[in-house]
Amino acid sequence: MNFNITTPETTQELLAQISKHQENNFRFGAGYTDLLLELKKQPDEDLTVINLAQLNDEHFTSISELDDGIRVGTLVTANRITYNEVLEKRYPVLYEAASKLASRQIRQVATIGGNLCTASPAGDIACALVALEARCEMLKTDGTVIVVPIDDFFVGVKKNCLLKNEILRSIIIPSNSENSKLYSGFIKVGTRCSMEIAVVSLAYHIQSDENGKITKAGVAIGSVAPTIKFAKSASEYLIGRSYTSIGTSKAEEFATKVLEYTLPISDIRASAWYRKEALFNISKSIFESN
Amino acid sequence: MKKELKIIGKPTPKLDARIKVSGEAVYGNDITLPNMLHGAILRTKYPVAKIESIDVSKAAQLPGVVCIITADDVDTNNISYLNDHPVLKKGEVNCIRDEIAAVAAETREIAQKALTLIDVKYKVKEGIFDPFEALKEDAPIINKFAPANNDKNIAHPFHYEHGNLQEQKDRSACIVKKRYNLPRVTHCCMGTCAVTADYSKMENRLTLYSQTQMPFLYQRDMAYTLKMEPSRIRIIQPIIGGGFGSKLDMYPYEPICALLAMKAGQPVQIAYDREEEFLASPTRQTMVIDISSGADKNGKFTFREVKIIMDNGAYTSWGATTPFVMMQTFSSLYQLPACLFEAYAVYTNNPYAGSFRGYGNPQATFAVERSIDLLAEELGMDKAEIRLLNANFKGEITGQRLEFISCGHRDALEMVIDKSGFDGKHCSTGVSQATQQNMKNSRSDTLVACGMSLKYESSSDKSVASTIFQRNSERYKRGIGLASMVHVGGGAKIYPSDGCGTTVKLDNFGYLTIITGSSEIGQGSETVLGMIASEELGIDMKNIRVINTDTDVKPWDVGVHASRTSFVAGNSLLGAVKKLKNKLSSKAVQLLETDIEDLEYENGLIKSRKTGESIKTDKVVREIHFREPNELCEESYYYEPDSKFQDKGFKGNVSGTYAFAAQAIEVEVDTYTGNVRVLDVHVAQDVGKVLNPLGLEGQIEGGVVTGMGYALTEELIIEKGMVLNPSFHDYKLPTAGDVPDIHFYPIETNDPKGPYGAKGVGEAPLIPTAPAIANAVSDAIGIKIDDLPITPEKVLKALKERIV
Repeated sequence: MNFNITTPETTQELLAQISKHQENNFRFGAGYTDLLLELKKQPDEDLTVINLAQLNDEHFTSISELDDGIRVGTLVTANRITYNEVLEKRYPVLYEAASKLASRQIRQVATIGGNLCTASPAGDIACALVALEARCEMLKTDGTVIVVPIDDFFVGVKKNCLLKNEILRSIIIPSNSENSKLYSGFIKVGTRCSMEIAVVSLAYHIQSDENGKITKAGVAIGSVAPTIKFAKSASEYLIGRSYTSIGTSKAEEFATKVLEYTLPISDIRASAWYRKEALFNISKSIFESN
Repeated sequence: MKKELKIIGKPTPKLDARIKVSGEAVYGNDITLPNMLHGAILRTKYPVAKIESIDVSKAAQLPGVVCIITADDVDTNNISYLNDHPVLKKGEVNCIRDEIAAVAAETREIAQKALTLIDVKYKVKEGIFDPFEALKEDAPIINKFAPANNDKNIAHPFHYEHGNLQEQKDRSACIVKKRYNLPRVTHCCMGTCAVTADYSKMENRLTLYSQTQMPFLYQRDMAYTLKMEPSRIRIIQPIIGGGFGSKLDMYPYEPICALLAMKAGQPVQIAYDREEEFLASPTRQTMVIDISSGADKNGKFTFREVKIIMDNGAYTSWGATTPFVMMQTFSSLYQLPACLFEAYAVYTNNPYAGSFRGYGNPQATFAVERSIDLLAEELGMDKAEIRLLNANFKGEITGQRLEFISCGHRDALEMVIDKSGFDGKHCSTGVSQATQQNMKNSRSDTLVACGMSLKYESSSDKSVASTIFQRNSERYKRGIGLASMVHVGGGAKIYPSDGCGTTVKLDNFGYLTIITGSSEIGQGSETVLGMIASEELGIDMKNIRVINTDTDVKPWDVGVHASRTSFVAGNSLLGAVKKLKNKLSSKAVQLLETDIEDLEYENGLIKSRKTGESIKTDKVVREIHFREPNELCEESYYYEPDSKFQDKGFKGNVSGTYAFAAQAIEVEVDTYTGNVRVLDVHVAQDVGKVLNPLGLEGQIEGGVVTGMGYALTEELIIEKGMVLNPSFHDYKLPTAGDVPDIHFYPIETNDPKGPYGAKGVGEAPLIPTAPAIANAVSDAIGIKIDDLPITPEKVLKALKERIV
């Protein structure tokens, strides 16, 4: 495995490097947990890796409070997400997804940007961010910033919407409604405790008001379609209902709506039948405290 | 008076622990020699094809490539005990591992690159990937080197019987017939395959740095393959990163490496990466086991009738002889009046199987122990009671003429039944399943509420989702299962000798060198040998070293297999030490003016018990060396167990002694996802005598986890001869987080033949695990488990089918 490597330290240097390599083959390297495996398998002789490890740009590296939400830089690692108490409290779905990614050692270096840009239908953090209806903030080489809803970021299996002269710098997670009660979590189905790629995953972030009425709901599913899917009708189904009054039959109706968004494949990890069956069961399970 | 033991039985860290954890240890792929080249192997693109041409010219022109070989360039004999496996394939390929060409180059990268430049023209052919297809009349011959006297595509047939089968069938009150399917799993050694070959043309001498676990048979096999004299080949074993049976055979990459070194005139190393390890290293046999077993109205077993079809793959390895071990289980695990056993290793175009810890016994024990649960259910008998009623006993000579001179079978069963609370937990007959299930679930809720939620779904304890699950009452079902096993515990006489030689050398500074024929592959044998010598000679462990890695130096031993090393090498060492002690004692009695019986070896001293006077052991050595009788303090001994070579009907006492074990395992099944979580594993094992509790614990825990993987998650998935999951991402080896609480209760039966009463322990711990887990899952959710691994998908499907 041979490649050229360049390590920009400032935003300017970064944009200059991206511009410089527009005609060449280049990849971004952040945590390298996926990239090195990929390059080992398919060595590419004229490849340049733009190494982001030394980049000093808070948009990429920090977790910061905004008026309408929280900004998480794409170079933030999975472990940093799990160590952040604000994220844990406000967005349990993100916290749980980050805690279930691969293994602790990999979480130490794997970044949120890598998880998103890989655009795997099984991405854990990505699934949580879709449920949270996050926005993706992308930087162009001319310095302009574009923001797209995360749902538009994924365009196919392992395909994102970034152009060659763009880089994903931050994720903006919208604020929760004030005084809302949260029902938020991430369920990952696989066969092992760690080092697992989700066979099915479900991310949900549900907010209700003082009276217990659900005011906002985001439900996303992974590994059951070419991309992570926001289950819109299932999310909408919950609005106006009281979380605690959703019994078995309503939970199953909800689960049926979640399944509308599936287009699963059968492969060595699981059959399409299993993915749907397990998804149905875990979808209804989120109301079983009632 | 029983002598009190000072070190045997005390937890002793492994001698190689420090260098291994610090990274100082030199493994096979760490070896570097001056001018060493790197070898790489071109394997076929298609499992079955005619090779129309091979063009290496472009590869040869690549700068840095030193030599390339194909079948046309070499003169070799076939490998494997049936001589059915060409080292480099000529004209045709028959399985996806097939080696077509090999390159030696200055760097690994150049060698890999060169492989891509070799142009092979294939004519793809249809393959046979199902052994039942291979047995059909119109099937083509898969291996043209197959033994001519066998039926078509049968590499090795086995037939065994004892007792009067018909009579026992007639008196059976209940007969259970089942077909079990056992999967293909692989060893996953942390150290991947690596060999380094160094050839001196001038001296016609080949040195191989090899990870073999059978150095002397390997030396012989290598010599036969390369048409050399065995003594011209020196085998040096670097530190081996796991064997588990995978290094019992020699594989083509090893003579290929030697051939490259001979042609290049420079040392060559071939080291697999993880993907090649998955693609090209051996596996456990997949088997289809048809078993019918019976019991009389009191629950006494009457007979077992077994037919096994094993997928041999395209070539044969020692693994094809696993029926030899399986028939011991079918004929002799629990008292059994009659047994008929047939097994066929059948050629297919799948990757070939090899030998793997347990050597057929995990498969056989699965079939026996699953069937026992079914018999108990049919008879309405308690699953513990039926096992205790039929348990093996001390003094038993089985139908196969295995002689159980010590036997902890019943003790092991009773121990795990008691410790696991089996009687109160399991669903006894299946009749009152519903009531029992309710009882169990309510109890399981209490435990779940205490925070024992499914590990997988709550890697964070504070997770909102998991608190929701914890209160769910219908979702999780618990069950408990029981299984036991018998395995050779004192070697296995499958070769003219099952012996081991040892030389001990005490130097005039009081340091002891043990030169043993046995090999260390991580099992902790050199530590046990050090402990034995320390115990006997009163020499501190720090002053003992074990030399066991060089065939030019060490005496003969058959190799690491059959859980034999502590037993056979231990007894061999005891023999050598006894001779050494005789020599030391006869000098010491002169110096201390006492008699032999009065002497005691302790703390580097030889003492007189009567007078309390002592003399330093090294001083005695110097007296022997430098004064009369002017001799070396060096002695050798060869130990041969008194086991027997079995007759043509496979009858005879094949091992010095036998090991027994039982496990009771509790599981929790998530009926929403089909995930099975192993909660508690209770292991009782007849180890004869605990030599090193630390090493033993490691063997038990490692074995159980291997058994868990076999039961639940592991399978090398092959489709039309292609390996679909050659990575740890998709080959689901259990991770640290999956390991349950393992409770171990050693049973000490003090075997009369074992060193200090010990018997073999290495393979046993994994053997009962899969059937115990399958029995537990069946107990939890009332479905029959006939296939491994018990994947979430299989569980969910079975639950669904039951509801519909």
